[in-house]
Amino acid sequence: MREAKKILQHVLIVTLLSVAAGVATRLPLFRQFLAGEFRESFIARDRYPGIRFVSLQEAEDVFAAPGASVFIDARPAGVFRDGHIPGAKNVPYAAGATRIPAALASLPRNTGLLIYCEGGECQSSQGLAKLLAGDGFTNIRILAGGWDEWARARLPTERGDD
Amino acid sequence: MIRNRKILLVFRLVVGAIFIYAGVTKAADPLGFAQNIRNYRVVGQNLSFLTGLILPWLEIFAGLLVVSGVMRRAGALLAFLMLAFFIVLTAVTMARGLDVDCGCFGAVSRKAGLGLILEDVALLYMATAVLLSRVSRAGR
Repeated sequence: MREAKKILQHVLIVTLLSVAAGVATRLPLFRQFLAGEFRESFIARDRYPGIRFVSLQEAEDVFAAPGASVFIDARPAGVFRDGHIPGAKNVPYAAGATRIPAALASLPRNTGLLIYCEGGECQSSQGLAKLLAGDGFTNIRILAGGWDEWARARLPTERGDD
Repeated sequence: MIRNRKILLVFRLVVGAIFIYAGVTKAADPLGFAQNIRNYRVVGQNLSFLTGLILPWLEIFAGLLVVSGVMRRAGALLAFLMLAFFIVLTAVTMARGLDVDCGCFGAVSRKAGLGLILEDVALLYMATAVLLSRVSRAGR
């Protein structure tokens, strides 16, 4: 029994040490967290200044100004075919991809991009955004509510391939 | 209970080295790891961040204790608890049909699946053996 108590005490000490080490070695990151960053994503603004999250309202505004921005649908081809934002390019993103998709390789790096995936907790738009930012794209918006929010608001959609 | 000191030493080295390696690769990219945690869709954004910051160090310290023999059983208990949690998490993730990168070793991409569970079970067995071993200063 005394042995068990000692082990638990040691576990507690090591846990506290881990908390201290985690915070101490990443103090700037921890400060950013306390200041409210990382509530939406784990994309650090100082590392990816070209990426920002936008509301449905802003996405609508971008949509209404045709030609200025390229909409990118990061969902799989099957669901894209069933419905997507009109004019969007389908660029399915697989986690861990390291090469930028051929469909986007020739775009000028200052092209405005608006990326979306399913919505809710989908991650592919963020993964694709980071990949593109790493390749030099400087104007990337992510629609936080994704396709779900767009479709629920009964905004224009179209079916078929891009 | 395993009493053979050589076998226990091998178990300690294997469990310890894997935990240290896993911790170091994750500590190098806490935001990437936080995203991995978030992808499992079990905890929210804030808890994912804090876990991403702290869990790598818990792995490193547990690994160091198991390898060095200092507070060996505390290290083994921590490793045991983490492994048990990883196994349940991976099983739940598979049952939910989520396609998640396990996040086990930082940027090394690997899917959360059956192979991972089996490896964790093997490590869990070794950690349990070290935890229950009564050999003082085992293997030294």
